Amino acid sequence: MSREPSDAALARALDAALAHALVAPELPAGFDARLQRALTRAAADEVDEITLRQLRQKLEQEQGERLAALQAGYLRLRRRTLAVLITGAFAAGAAAAVAMPWLTNQIGPSAPLLMSAIGAAVGLAVAFGSWIVRPGVSLQAYAATRAHHD
Amino acid sequence: MQTAGTRAADKDQDVVGLLRAGTAERAFALLLPRYEQKIYRLCCALLRDRSQAEDVAQESLVRIWRMLHRYDGRAALSTWIYAITRNRCLTALERRRRADGDAPDAADAGGEWAGSVAGQAGSDPGGLSAQQRDAQLRSLVDALPERLRRVLVLYYFEERSVDEVASMLGCPAGTVKTHLFRARAALAERLGALGLDDPRAWLEDET
Repeated sequence: MSREPSDAALARALDAALAHALVAPELPAGFDARLQRALTRAAADEVDEITLRQLRQKLEQEQGERLAALQAGYLRLRRRTLAVLITGAFAAGAAAAVAMPWLTNQIGPSAPLLMSAIGAAVGLAVAFGSWIVRPGVSLQAYAATRAHHD
Repeated sequence: MQTAGTRAADKDQDVVGLLRAGTAERAFALLLPRYEQKIYRLCCALLRDRSQAEDVAQESLVRIWRMLHRYDGRAALSTWIYAITRNRCLTALERRRRADGDAPDAADAGGEWAGSVAGQAGSDPGGLSAQQRDAQLRSLVDALPERLRRVLVLYYFEERSVDEVASMLGCPAGTVKTHLFRARAALAERLGALGLDDPRAWLEDET
């Protein structure tokens, strides 16, 4: 009969004793001052981060613009080279057609064959030269590579 | 009928209003006196080390200050603040566990209060002063399983508010009540194991 009231009384006593023993800790002295300093530091870090981010964006934009300009220049160069080659080939053909009767008179019937051979040799020399002197490959490097392979 | 969540949301309407107006600095100035004490208590309850609790409370407040403009109002402001604090505490506990090299946590072995009463638990518990009785009671609380201990400690830190403890720990109020019941039952059992003739008289002793 007296078990339940006794348990309830013990629970009440335990509750009161715990409330007495478990006192909420107060903020340590100087906590607010230290927090303000930490916030000031965090604000300064944030400004630094923003500045760095802006700087990085600016550099990336500049790099992008430079790359785009280089690519445009490269495409222009390729188009110009192609135009020069085609014009040169037509000019050479026209010159050969004009000069052929005179050359045949001077050299004989083998003149067309000789002219074709000279044209082919010049074409091959130009192609070989442009392949060797392509961007980033110097003649010395090519010679060194050849020597290494040999 | 208002739930704990809606009451907390109502309480912080002024802060949320300032946030919506784009004045995060003023909102922070308003919430700081309201929450700094509670954040520190939560850190104390979770970390069991007041010096580390101070550092983590400060870190949490700096984090809250940094992230306040991103608060989207989906959860109550208090829930959001306590979630940030709990995460910082968990990180600190993990750091401590790594620093201890996976050794059993010093705090888990008895907590910050246990040392002051070491040796007393085995001696005659009767005839202790009220101060010693409090210390012994705290050492018994420290020896409780972690999930029960933190609920019990926060419950008394927060002046017996179940809703506040639930909000701080991010769990339902029913869970808090269950843990409180189990914690008290475990404490009563441990008091009985101390060999006291009358545990109630010992608890009520004001000498």
